[in-house]
Amino acid sequence: MRLFGTDAELLEEAGCDVARITELERSLVAGLIECPRADIHVHVGRDRDGHELDVDGLLADMDAWGIRRTVIFAPNDPGPDGDFADANATVRRAAEVAPARLIDFCRVDPEISALSVMEEAMRHGARGLKLHPIAQGRPPESAASIACVRRATEFGWPVIMHAGFGARSLADPFLGVLNAVPEARLILAHGARGDARAVSDALADHPGVWFDTSLATLSDLVILPRERLIFGTDRPYGDHATALQLVDHAARLAKWSEADVRRVLVGNFDDILGA
Amino acid sequence: MRGPDAVRLAAALGAIEMALVRRDLVVGPLLAQAARAASETQIAPLLVCAAEQTRADDFFADTSPAIARRKMTQALCRAAAHEVHAELLVMTGIDMGAS
Repeated sequence: MRLFGTDAELLEEAGCDVARITELERSLVAGLIECPRADIHVHVGRDRDGHELDVDGLLADMDAWGIRRTVIFAPNDPGPDGDFADANATVRRAAEVAPARLIDFCRVDPEISALSVMEEAMRHGARGLKLHPIAQGRPPESAASIACVRRATEFGWPVIMHAGFGARSLADPFLGVLNAVPEARLILAHGARGDARAVSDALADHPGVWFDTSLATLSDLVILPRERLIFGTDRPYGDHATALQLVDHAARLAKWSEADVRRVLVGNFDDILGA
Repeated sequence: MRGPDAVRLAAALGAIEMALVRRDLVVGPLLAQAARAASETQIAPLLVCAAEQTRADDFFADTSPAIARRKMTQALCRAAAHEVHAELLVMTGIDMGAS
């Protein structure tokens, strides 16, 4: 059994009251409507900061929380050559365990062999690109990042970009990407909380932009257009219970219909990646 | 939850989130204060449970059980923050269904 994405046996070993924590976790999502769910934001592998998730743990979480499909990509583990070769291979092998449920995105450092890494990933069946401008230190509007978005778009891939904590403004850089690659489909992670107000003003209605709900803030989710929101957890940094609790609160506050909730939890995901 | 309580808790939970990430020893006192501030509100059980975790001698250890405990504590605090933010947004009186 897992609680908040952690192994309950480890919590027991730590002396935690597992029964009480189970009750608290389940109480968070007691009111959420039952429907199929899909998760656009999960890292499989081991991050340099120690966070890790393997495919067995992920599938157990998905079963426990009614998650039908999940997009998976590498954590920040670029490897000795900086090209994410081993980390992408780990993700690819994970996707092969449950190909109907796990969708493999390729992660690159735009400055390190990125286009050849993407070509290889495409040959192996990857379905999207993950960029993390902060972790890799490559601004989204840099020539190298734009080249990656352009190639991904040529492949028909959506691009999920970190848009959480970071010092730089985000609206103009993302607009720069979209101006350079007008057909791009960008999924801005974390509800673009790193610059939410400016991004919302500039991009909320852009036809090529979606926002994932992973580790987002409620004040952002209630103003972003629900037809552009896609459920995400950011496992193993986030967890399913609080991710669903967040969507539940946004739905109540912004008066989403049941159809809106389904759209956020699965419909928008299916629109981008196919049902 | 009263407005001043919600503001106090929102501020505390923001500081607690960063303290947990940075493994700052101040997290224990901050969570104890937050749990007291949340007394008799719906988030009290979350914060009381989270505060209890920080009293473990090995709370900041690098062992697997300690890491699991910290992740769970972080999730409890995130859940509490979501509840407080929801309360604050309701208190604004803004019709968010109009967006």
